[in-house]
Amino acid sequence: MSPTVDSLPTGIEACDCLTPFGDATATTGALLAGRRALQMQPVLGAAGGDLVPLALCGSMDETVPPRWLPDLRRLVERIPGDRWGTARRPLIVTSSNFGVGSLYAFTRDRDPRHLRHGPPFACVEMLQREFGWGEQVHVISHACVSAHLGLVQAARLLHAGLADRVLVVTFDFVSPFVAGGFHSLKILNASLPAPYAVRATGSIGLGDGAAFAVLTRATTPLRLEAHALHNEMHHFTGNRPDGAGFDACAAAIAGTARGRRVWVKGHGTGTLEAGRLEAEAYARHLPGAPLVSWKGSLGHTLGSCGLVELALALAGLRAGRLPGTVGGAVPCCTGSVALEAFARDGYDGAILTSNAFGGAHAAMLLAHD
Amino acid sequence: MIERHIHFLRVEHPAAAETADGARDRLAAKFSRGALRRMTHLGLLVGSTVDGLAIGLDDTVVYATTYAETRALEDYLTSFPEASPLLFQTSIHPSAVQQVLIGRQQPVRRFFPLTGRRRLVEQALLTALIDPAPQVVLLGGEERGTWMLDHGMASDRAFAFALSLRAEPAGAIGRVAFAPDGADQETGPCPTLPDFAEALAGRREMHWRGAGGGFTLQWS
Repeated sequence: MSPTVDSLPTGIEACDCLTPFGDATATTGALLAGRRALQMQPVLGAAGGDLVPLALCGSMDETVPPRWLPDLRRLVERIPGDRWGTARRPLIVTSSNFGVGSLYAFTRDRDPRHLRHGPPFACVEMLQREFGWGEQVHVISHACVSAHLGLVQAARLLHAGLADRVLVVTFDFVSPFVAGGFHSLKILNASLPAPYAVRATGSIGLGDGAAFAVLTRATTPLRLEAHALHNEMHHFTGNRPDGAGFDACAAAIAGTARGRRVWVKGHGTGTLEAGRLEAEAYARHLPGAPLVSWKGSLGHTLGSCGLVELALALAGLRAGRLPGTVGGAVPCCTGSVALEAFARDGYDGAILTSNAFGGAHAAMLLAHD
Repeated sequence: MIERHIHFLRVEHPAAAETADGARDRLAAKFSRGALRRMTHLGLLVGSTVDGLAIGLDDTVVYATTYAETRALEDYLTSFPEASPLLFQTSIHPSAVQQVLIGRQQPVRRFFPLTGRRRLVEQALLTALIDPAPQVVLLGGEERGTWMLDHGMASDRAFAFALSLRAEPAGAIGRVAFAPDGADQETGPCPTLPDFAEALAGRREMHWRGAGGGFTLQWS
């Protein structure tokens, strides 16, 4: 049997993110103030369409060079160290989108320059040239658990003795391609998301997000202690109705948190069934642990949400207060949902979760003694 | 040195002209009728390679593809402004493996879908080699594109492979290994995914340098 959790402690040497509010400190400040970055905007950008909740760093429409490159450049400037992408300092790039929106732009205006950063390989090779990264780049794409898997892979490389430090970089910027897809699934609609609320119709928002983390084997005050993964493989866009997937992941990661007083940053996109199953699983396995989601403000940053929200958790810990479920509402599907911000005092750990298509689940234990 | 032994290998190299519908006819016996109807060419090929291979919850799946579901992506792009929900979800990486495992209703704990191009093969091998599972199923493949191929953004051929990698050497048909030495400067070209698939099909040995060490593919 393989272990049900990957207990691979890693130190967090550096971590930051980018959202429409700014870096992790600015974003966490906005969340603590209860602000929403989501605004109702046309689903296809300049081409119009229904108004849906999007949290964007500027216009969603694709450009040449890609509209997200300046934002990514500003984030990458904050990464400490150099020679990333070498054998002992490998780089893991994760995304669910890469530059895929530019393929849709190409089908509209036939400008071949859009194709240079469309497919994942072309996008990553462009970033390697842009930022001087070396050849040792792992590229992971598993929809909305992509960044989380990148953190797992970094921990595995460190514990296998194959790397001294690992840089994980993730980015997902919304495009008409992606917004149109989620709109077609009818979960991106005219309502703002209210994670974990009991209401008639569920809805999500989408948001731009990027983040990085530098991980080491060194013990740091804030560290990732363990990861749990589970892939239901029940349905492309739905979870097992009995909640078995949530339960498997929650049980595994909760086992690593014994003896700690933890809070939970859930996936909480605003869909009804998945939100309820997640809240119930964590209420069952970690009774008394407050549960929050920040996607009611920032939207779902897709494949990057795991690392964007880790950076926000760290910023909240530095600030001494953790944001509540911005955009949430009563009644909630469990009593554990925290709508208001709360003090970090009394907690010494956090469980951070992500979910994805295919019934993919990922959870990590963040220790903050 | 870290190594795993090859206990199962199957490679799909369909005729160059095979379409998804052609693969559906050729491989129909391997899939349920419900699953077959919606599967992509790549999904069908990947599914065929693992036909008969038991995959359990404790096994890890590693999947490597540069271009993934190109045809679903091409068709999704042309579905605008009325975006197709089915093509959207099918185009999302790692759809091919999900098509297969959802068809089997087979959960797995660890699933690492990788993409990229230049060093994709060695990333996939490293991911498999450092995994704690008793069996790592290493999958890879591509499907042939149409208009995206004209722009160099899709595979020019369809193929898929599956390897079952275990720690035990007894009964193995080959092995993959990585010997780290930290010598960064000596990185050489990494085999492409099609090259690797051809080496598997022909039971051809491979050796190359990358990731600060040497990779080996050997046959018993």
